Amino acid sequence: MDTAIRTVDLHKNFGQVKALDGLDLEVSTGEIHGFLGPNGAGKTTTLRILLGLARASSGSASVLGLHPWADAVELHRRVASVPGDVALWPNLSGGEAIDLLFRLRGGTTDSPVYRQRKQRLCDVFDFDPTKRGRAYSKGNRQKVALIAALVTDAELYLFDEPTSGLDPLMESVFTAEIHRIVQENGSSVLLSSHILSEVEHLASRVSIIRSGRIVDGGTLDSLRHLTRTEISFTRDGVDMDTLATAPQVHDLSLDGDRVKFGADSDRVHEVLPLLGALGVKGLLVAPPSLEELFLHHYGDSIAAPAETADGGPHSHRHRHLTTRTGA
Amino acid sequence: MDALWVLYLQRLRRDRWQLTSWVLSIGVLAWFAVEAIATTFGNQAARAEILQLATATPAILVLRGLARGPELGAFTFFEIYTFLALLAGLMNTFLAVRHTRAEEESGRAELVFATAAGRWVPLAATVLHGAVANVLVAGATAIGFLGGGLDPAGSIVAGLATGAAGFAFLGVGLLAGRFFSTSRGANGISAALVMLAYLLRGFGDATGQISGDGLTVTAAWPSWLSPIGWGQQTFAYTGNRLWPLLLPLVVGAGCVAVVGIITARRDVGTSLLAGRAGPAEAAPTLRGPFSLALRLQRGAIIGWCIGGLAMGVLTGSLGNAIQSAITTNPQVTAALRAMVEAQGTSMTQLLIAALFEVSGILAAACGLQAVLRLRQEEVAGTAGLVLSEPVSRMRWLRSFLELGAVSVVLVMAFTAVGAWFSLLLAGDSSGAVADIWQTALNQLPAALIYLSLPAAVFVLWPRATIAVGWALLGLGVVFGVYGGMLGFDRTLRDLSPFTHSPVTTGTGTDWSGGFWMLGITAVLTVFALAAVRRREVGAA
Repeated sequence: MDTAIRTVDLHKNFGQVKALDGLDLEVSTGEIHGFLGPNGAGKTTTLRILLGLARASSGSASVLGLHPWADAVELHRRVASVPGDVALWPNLSGGEAIDLLFRLRGGTTDSPVYRQRKQRLCDVFDFDPTKRGRAYSKGNRQKVALIAALVTDAELYLFDEPTSGLDPLMESVFTAEIHRIVQENGSSVLLSSHILSEVEHLASRVSIIRSGRIVDGGTLDSLRHLTRTEISFTRDGVDMDTLATAPQVHDLSLDGDRVKFGADSDRVHEVLPLLGALGVKGLLVAPPSLEELFLHHYGDSIAAPAETADGGPHSHRHRHLTTRTGA
Repeated sequence: MDALWVLYLQRLRRDRWQLTSWVLSIGVLAWFAVEAIATTFGNQAARAEILQLATATPAILVLRGLARGPELGAFTFFEIYTFLALLAGLMNTFLAVRHTRAEEESGRAELVFATAAGRWVPLAATVLHGAVANVLVAGATAIGFLGGGLDPAGSIVAGLATGAAGFAFLGVGLLAGRFFSTSRGANGISAALVMLAYLLRGFGDATGQISGDGLTVTAAWPSWLSPIGWGQQTFAYTGNRLWPLLLPLVVGAGCVAVVGIITARRDVGTSLLAGRAGPAEAAPTLRGPFSLALRLQRGAIIGWCIGGLAMGVLTGSLGNAIQSAITTNPQVTAALRAMVEAQGTSMTQLLIAALFEVSGILAAACGLQAVLRLRQEEVAGTAGLVLSEPVSRMRWLRSFLELGAVSVVLVMAFTAVGAWFSLLLAGDSSGAVADIWQTALNQLPAALIYLSLPAAVFVLWPRATIAVGWALLGLGVVFGVYGGMLGFDRTLRDLSPFTHSPVTTGTGTDWSGGFWMLGITAVLTVFALAAVRRREVGAA
């Protein structure tokens, strides 16, 4: 089995609203897959379908080779998940909730292994398990669900915006824990987020969802090919004419005493000899961040809703220009 | 001033249906009480006899009130006022907690506190909202009594007595909201205080000084500790005194003042009694959906069982008192027989049938709550946590239904045990004692309907679970239990499960209705369990 998750033409309608509109998602075994999209794009709906909590209107989904709706119980033995908005039982302590969720999987909480794991996770997440559910802040509720998921050995982990409410220190703890589970168990991880840096640190591949469909995907490197690397240097009397005529150079401009331009990311090496010949100083080469990638896909949502598709590889990008709130 | 008006309107809008139903129920109940009494105890002599029986029977005084003579108005006030005040009290404590502690708990209060409204205006708006609600209650009660044909002055005094008692409990509810960190805790303690006020005056009335003719009672001091007792002291229709109403108003205002002092000093969202910490590890018993359901509903189930036990004990003690009284007074027997509307060979059996029917309502409510909890779990999102583990939707639903069925049986068992002990202690060895178990069993089919029917609603129409659940129970009680007294049509009464509860008579028990209901329960349960497999979690 080399695919952990595969959905084909997945649709989910809530009345007139198409929450998912032909979603094709594929997550390989053993990879950390980033699932990126703005609020209301359909991330949570997708994860709920993959967990068998919601049923697809049409299309197919396969998780660990199982049908998520029909084989939900069997699937849940092998999957651990963290919902986006964690609710707890007001009168159960955090520690009780973690134990209960582990026992629902058929595990025994008496084993030294479990106790040691739970203790370690409570320590690294700086979590007090003795408070009642109602007394926890959003971040601490999130920690309950994270600890309950990470304390298990699952083949697949589904995280819906797992670090919302966590401080930066805890985010890095989370990142370390995800690397650990993948290295130790070879588990697969699907991680939805709109926090790009989090995915950039963790994911080997990403899928970008918009209005219920995947608009782009692949390794981070392959996605970076689609964007431009920003290059700048000190002007300092450099003759800019040779650059202005070079085909690899775009948007040449002056910003104070610095010269700026963008180069196609896969052609940066062709620009460097030119810069060397010019003897530029103070050279800065900034590879595109996921942030830019993201804006690349979503930045046009406020642009004119014209049908500007040209049939190219990303023509579908422009078809659904209206953004929805809520999914 | 603007913020106060906005927040007041917001409270009014939020409570528009809830408040309307409380006020209308209280008014309609007052009206029906007059009608029913005028029908059942039409003449002065009958009322005098029943009063004499009542004053000789402390248990009746606990449930009714302060006897002030056999006039129709005074007799009605004796019969129904304490119950109306009890309802008004519960309405007020729920209202107070809903707009204070519950809002803070949910975090909504912070949104409002952070605006120009600040910390004081929301409190003022809640007090204003509660005060207006009590004026409405007073008006509805007065109109209800007037509509039944009682004299205006007394009706207005009776209305004011209800509203004033309500206002005292508004203060109690606000204060509880400051002491407890959760709305559940604040609601529980303030509702318990309302019950305590009811029982205190019951105790005072039952131990009061009875006049020579047995028609009037002067309450003992415990009544003077209770806002409901103060309302009784108005002697509506006979004395029409207004000064005792100063007491509940002062208590209500005093509570509001204390709440004000606390508000001036405390941080928003904090409580005087801090929440306790819990264990870091779950007890070994907490290991599946059933034990989770039990853990979540333990307190409520214990509460319902205590209610059942109290009802049982009351049955035994009342039964004995009446049994000894009626041997000397056959007319009273006839009147009581009309009042409890049941069949049976002895008065004790009548009472057991009537009061166990009330316990059956408690059991039904207890079962209904198991299903409502399912829906609450789903809305809160905790159901999603459980169902993301290897727990099927069917097993999840089944566990809650099993617990509901167990608690229904427990409520009736506690009722039966309470009645059995109290009858044995009083030395009753008649056939009635043996009937207790059968009569308790008779209530189960109707109560179980209130487990299976809401479960089907929960699966088919999740959004409506809570509203439809309570509406079904309310209508079932009104049609089935009070339908006869209120003169409803037979077809209407037949819609209620309670109408079809088996009745034990001298010749045995006809269980045909019971078996029908058990069959319907089985079908509905199987349907719900099968259909929930096709239902999404968190569906509207």
